[in-house]
Amino acid sequence: MNSVFFANLVLNGLIEGMVIALPALALTLVMGISKFPNVAVGDTMTVGAYVAFGLQAAGVSWFALATLGAIAACMVLSLATYQWVFRKLSKAPMVVNLLASVGLAFMMRSALLLWVDSQPKTYAFPLVRAWNFHGVRLLPTDLWIVLTAGAALLVVFALFRYTNVGRCLRAIADNPELARASAIRSKRLTWFLWCLFGALSALGGVLLAAKSVLLPEFGWEFVIPAFAAVILGGIGSPVGAVAGAVLLGVAQEVSVAFVGPSYKITVAFLVMIVVLVIRPAGLLGLLEKAR
Amino acid sequence: MTIDRRSLLKLGAASAAGLALPFNVFAQSGSELLIGGLVPITGAGAPYGSGMLKAMEIAVQEVNDAGGAAGRKLKLISEDAQTQPQAAVLAAKKLIEINGVQAILGTWASGVSLAVVPLTDAADLIEMNVSGAPALSTVDKKDLVWRFQGTNDRFGRAFAKIAEKRGYKRPATMAFNNASGRGNTDGFIRAWEEAGHGKVVANIVYEPNRPSYRSELQTVLAQDPDVIVMGSYLPDTTIILREWFQSGHENAWIIPAWAANPDLVKALGNEATNGIIAVDTVSNVDAASYKDLSGRYQKATGQALSDNVYAAMAYDMVISLALAAHKAGGKAASREISAQMREVSNPPGEKVYSFAQGKAAMDAGRQIDYEGASSRLNFDEYGDSNPDFGVYVVKDGKFDRVDTISLD
Repeated sequence: MNSVFFANLVLNGLIEGMVIALPALALTLVMGISKFPNVAVGDTMTVGAYVAFGLQAAGVSWFALATLGAIAACMVLSLATYQWVFRKLSKAPMVVNLLASVGLAFMMRSALLLWVDSQPKTYAFPLVRAWNFHGVRLLPTDLWIVLTAGAALLVVFALFRYTNVGRCLRAIADNPELARASAIRSKRLTWFLWCLFGALSALGGVLLAAKSVLLPEFGWEFVIPAFAAVILGGIGSPVGAVAGAVLLGVAQEVSVAFVGPSYKITVAFLVMIVVLVIRPAGLLGLLEKAR
Repeated sequence: MTIDRRSLLKLGAASAAGLALPFNVFAQSGSELLIGGLVPITGAGAPYGSGMLKAMEIAVQEVNDAGGAAGRKLKLISEDAQTQPQAAVLAAKKLIEINGVQAILGTWASGVSLAVVPLTDAADLIEMNVSGAPALSTVDKKDLVWRFQGTNDRFGRAFAKIAEKRGYKRPATMAFNNASGRGNTDGFIRAWEEAGHGKVVANIVYEPNRPSYRSELQTVLAQDPDVIVMGSYLPDTTIILREWFQSGHENAWIIPAWAANPDLVKALGNEATNGIIAVDTVSNVDAASYKDLSGRYQKATGQALSDNVYAAMAYDMVISLALAAHKAGGKAASREISAQMREVSNPPGEKVYSFAQGKAAMDAGRQIDYEGASSRLNFDEYGDSNPDFGVYVVKDGKFDRVDTISLD
């Protein structure tokens, strides 16, 4: 149980956390603006991962292109769910939207099963040995995954901080009526938001599937960890979602050294509970917004 | 659209009246024996479920072509257990309450069988499974549960024998956190310690549905084992082996064949899978029942029977059930059929290898001993059939059979 061992555990947690950060970010954006948790994020991830798999199997040579195809497909998918379902329910209570998103999640998964069989699938990457830095092992694939996730997150943050679109979205999240009164057109912006949701989910799905295996139900399994990250980081706070995801990932993996793998999920949620008890709004949550 | 109170009350009364109707309106007709096939078409058992179903259909066809069991034709109603206990329970309830089946056959995952057996037991129905969890032997109090696969405990004992034979000294175990995975590794640990080899160097249990098992693997590899024994399924084995190969460690693997199968080799490639020891129960390949089924199965599915040991077991389930039903008579209920299972499958008796053969022998007044396609089907006191184990080593993507293990 030396420092190299722990360094490896922290690295594992960081990698897992960065990948969960993408769907967590997608969730928190929609929660901030449309005010409901869209649990279809999980199955959107699954759809994105399978589209990338299909494109790769059909002969698309660069995996980056297959990923872009998956992102495009999920953008369209999420936009469609907004246009035909959530837009109609925008005045309905949060629970109604939540239930609709659950229904959409099941629909997506069942529709997917019409085309794919339920055998586990993997992307066709060559297997390579990890780089070994004095015992701390890093896989090239994992490095790519972290860099891609990091780049996506930076793009989203830059978008929100420095562009007009981002400013308007933050305004709508803060106070929809005031935003409308300030002549902020919400329709195009909401479309943009849902496209972003689809893109982040797709990318998260592809990265997660690249690390593990593709199964029809794998996206659904990540809804709870993503949601936990969102709550931990503070609902509606993008930086919080990412910080929450990384924190939970690292806490989980480091706990393996102390309590063993069977309890690591318990530890993750214990950390979440402790943080919420100390700061009920989450790490970077609403308490700051109300000021 | 609002509903006013009066119509709501009317709606409520109508539904209550509807619910009060008896469910089992499909009464067991005298000329048909309904059996339920609850196989894993989706989920971790998906590589085997459709083959199992096809084998059952072939068996039902065989029985009906020979005139049925004691005048009753078999009818198979199938459902997808999804390798999930929750989904399987819903499907089992539908089969029992709505379809009125007399037996549920083909449950694959231990979690599924353990969830379904209380339902079939309460309804006094036969349950036949290919699961490994040792608990299934003891949870069956009414002698209605028949197991056609080796128990995980026996798998573990076979693993221990293999590790011993190959001279490994520092085994570690990794178990999927369910009854089956832990049954494998607990069986291994117990057999290893009883043989006097001391404790295993590491023993961890990992959670299902994780994207990565690097930390778990790291914990095990830190103890420097020379062989890692698994109780796992295909998706998690894929992830673990990929991460192991990429970590650069050298050690052997003993993995149950439902996890180390051609799909694993396809996913990981030859370099990562060379030398893996896969262990499975062996079908009764020398028996006429196996050879006969092999041809029919190949024609119906386009796949070799040897690729799916569970298909042979599923076929045997239907045939042995039909033979027992024939012995018990045309009016027999599930419990009475179950009471005849050992009568038609265990020695003493004339060895028969098909339904028609067994039926003819029984009609002539002789006692029979059905030798199945999956094993000799000599059920012990728990209703377990205890097949032998085959040891396969993966070499360049092919599974070479190197040994057979018979436990007492």
